[in-house]
Formats: sequence, structure tokens, C-alpha cells
Amino acid sequence: MTELENQIRTEAERLLREGLVDVVVAFRKEDAPLRPQPAFFTRVEDLENLVYDGLCANNLANYLTRFPDETRVGMLVRGCENRSVNALVVEKQHSRENLTLIGIPCTGIIDWRKVVEHTGEDIFGYEDSPDTLTVRARHQTYQLPRQELLHPSCQRCIHPNPLSADILLGEPLPEGDPALIRERVESFEALTRAERSAYFKLEAERCIRCYACREACPMCYCEECFVDHNSPRWTESGTSPAGTHAWHIIRAFHQTGRCTSCGACERACPMDIQMTYLTDKLGKDMWDTYQFETGLDHKTQPPFAAFTLDDKKHFQAGGAQS
Amino acid sequence: MEQKPKIAFFQCQWCLYAPEDQEWVDTQLPVNIHLIKVPCTGRIDPLFILNAVQGGAEGVVISGCLPEKCHFKEGNLAARRQLAEFSSFLDYVGYDQERVRFVWLDLQDRGRIQRELAEFERKLSKLTPAKTLATRISLNEGGAND
Repeated sequence: MTELENQIRTEAERLLREGLVDVVVAFRKEDAPLRPQPAFFTRVEDLENLVYDGLCANNLANYLTRFPDETRVGMLVRGCENRSVNALVVEKQHSRENLTLIGIPCTGIIDWRKVVEHTGEDIFGYEDSPDTLTVRARHQTYQLPRQELLHPSCQRCIHPNPLSADILLGEPLPEGDPALIRERVESFEALTRAERSAYFKLEAERCIRCYACREACPMCYCEECFVDHNSPRWTESGTSPAGTHAWHIIRAFHQTGRCTSCGACERACPMDIQMTYLTDKLGKDMWDTYQFETGLDHKTQPPFAAFTLDDKKHFQAGGAQS
Repeated sequence: MEQKPKIAFFQCQWCLYAPEDQEWVDTQLPVNIHLIKVPCTGRIDPLFILNAVQGGAEGVVISGCLPEKCHFKEGNLAARRQLAEFSSFLDYVGYDQERVRFVWLDLQDRGRIQRELAEFERKLSKLTPAKTLATRISLNEGGAND
């Protein structure tokens, strides 16, 4: 058990014992190695199963909308989760008073698929440390460099520290470089239109429409998604090009000014489809046009909800651009 | 005779102030322009535009009222933010931004909509045909749905 895990358990135990929260949302050890699962702790006895390491891949903010507003939720949050929680509070999905956020500065989520690729054999266990991941496999023990195993979204992470946690555990980390996301979007924008279209099609048409990206995303909480609506049917529902294109375009567009670029969608995708290049582009545009970044506080409305008459100067005869 | 480009024309029902303009749009629109009347530009979901594009529209025209002139006070403000961003997002995935045109009409813009549509049509016919996102299969060709 690591020091950090110990601190989380102590805090969670205190919150539950003192009756400050009804449930603590965190991670639990799972029999399958490399895959700790989200868990809901309501009793102090269960807390011995709580784990936290770099392989905890889910965005826990996803589970916030499961609880009614009155439920006092304690939640383990990293940088991206904290911003997702803020964005959800802005959208009135939970009241901030009934939330206790246990913040952890995040050193990045390890992509378990990369670990499997590196080892290529059955994995029995692992240990996560700041620089290396020690993996025990059938024939040998591997020491893998942690930085290389990180999920791409985490390599580009801007805010690894929780921005508005109630309890902060561990030492704050240096902020990331916002240029990394920008460069990726700008290099994609620099391609010709035909190349962009070809790349988009290559990615989108692999989609099997399982909607794992939607289920993993904290911001996708609609009771009925536009693709599930069948009277009228908005898009083709199969895996035809028209259907998959529409899903990827509109799913991303519905995240405009709401996506925190946590990468949970890509981590959930069984087909390994790139999606953050779409949402990052929208995030970049929101920053360039409206100087808005998602989830920095729990009060500012996203640009699409916060239109004003000041937009007047952007209206142009016949022009699309502001 | 060469075929004229197909255009989807989303029109806010309040934006044409002159009855003659509205009359022209309602009754004398060229056959290659498909009129979709909406109660306000705020009603236009990005999905409508995507569906038009996927259904083979080579251009999309959106006409609405200027700010402060919106019948519903701020529908056009909401629409402008979303739709302008959506057109640039479509460009990002390969559908030319030039093919989406906004016409924000004012009280004195009598007859402007006809000029705008004609000009847009000329511009479209100069561009190479865009079929990158026109992926919908119509019902009579065996498509899944209309």
C-alpha cells in the first residue's frame, strides 16, 4: 500500500465516519490485473479494497450524475476529473455544497494496452512508482518507463492538479504546457482538406457504434442521446459511413466548451479510434474566440450558453467567421 | 445543360421583412434550392446542417435576423455562436467552410436574399463538387432510412 493510498483511505474513512458524505466514489482492486474499477464506498469496512495508482483509467466525474442532488458525494478527483465536476456543477447536475472533493495531483494515467504490448505475456501483478511501472508477468518481471506508457491525453495534460478540491493530498505538480494540445490541432489544420477528410474517415469508419465513448464521458449524461432517438431518426443508426461520421461529428460538437480533454472516450474505445483531435479543436476555438476554458471554476457558463448582445460586432453580412 | 448545385436554404420565418421577398422565396425558388423554414435561426440544430450535407447538399444558406432584431430576443445570438463554430468544425473534417453561408438580414435589405442566393450559386459552381460527406443512401436506393 502506498503512502498516497493510505492518505486517501484515512480521508475517506474520516468522511464516512463523521457522516459528512453518504458515499465515497473511488477505485477498487479488481481480480483482472491492470484494471482497477470504479467503486462506491458506503461503509467504512469496505474501504480496505480502495486502491489508487496510475492504472485507474475512468473519469470518476462520470458517476456524479447517478446521484440525486441531495446525496452528499465524496469523490476522488484528479485534475481532469475536478474540471469535469466543475463543468457538471455549472450545468446544475449536482450542487457544489453536497460535494466533497478529495483531490490528488495526477502524474498521468497509464494506458494498460501499452503495458500489454510491451510485455506480450500474461500479467499477474504490477507496482506503480513515480518513474517506473514494475510488471510481474509469467516468465519475468519488467521495469517499464512510466512516461512512455502514459495515455496520449495525459502526456498533453495542462492541469494535473485539482483546481478546486476541498481536501488536497500529495504535493502539487508543475502545470503542463498548453502548446502541446495546440500544436497537435494546428498541425492537423495545416493538412489539406482532402488529407483531413481522409484521416477523419479512416478513424470514424472503424466505429462499431458501441457508444463506450459516450458511457465513459462525464459530460454525456443525456437521458436520451440523439442517436437513440428514433422518431424522427436524426442519423443512420448502423455502422454505415453516414452513421459513423454523424456520430463522431455531433458527439464531438456536443462537447464544445464542455470537454476537459481527459481522454476517457479514447481509453474506453475498443477500436482505438482517435477522438481527442476533434474535441481539442473545439476547445482551442473556444479559447481563441471566447477565452473560455472548461471547468476552471463552477460558475462560468460555457460560451454556447452564455451568448450576449456583445456578439453584435461579430455578425457580418454573409460571413461565417467572427 | 450542366446541373446546378444543390443548396439547402434554412430561412428564419421572421427575417424577410418585405412581403415580396417572402412571396418570392415561398413560390419562385429555383428547383435546386431546397427551402427549410424555421421559426428562428435558434431552432437550427447543427444536426440539420449535417443531415443536409450528408444528403448531398453542396451548399447551405442560413438566413436570419440581425442582433436586436430577433423575434425571440436572442435566438439568433445563440445560433450564430453554434453555427459559425459548426461550419468551421465541418471544415476541420473536410467539408469546405465556404459552402456554408450566413445571411443576416436587416429591415432595408429588400431583394437582397435573391442576390445572395444567386451569388452563392455562382460561387459554388466554381468550386469542385464536394462529396466527402455526402454519404447518405436514400431510401429508394436501399438506404437504411430516409
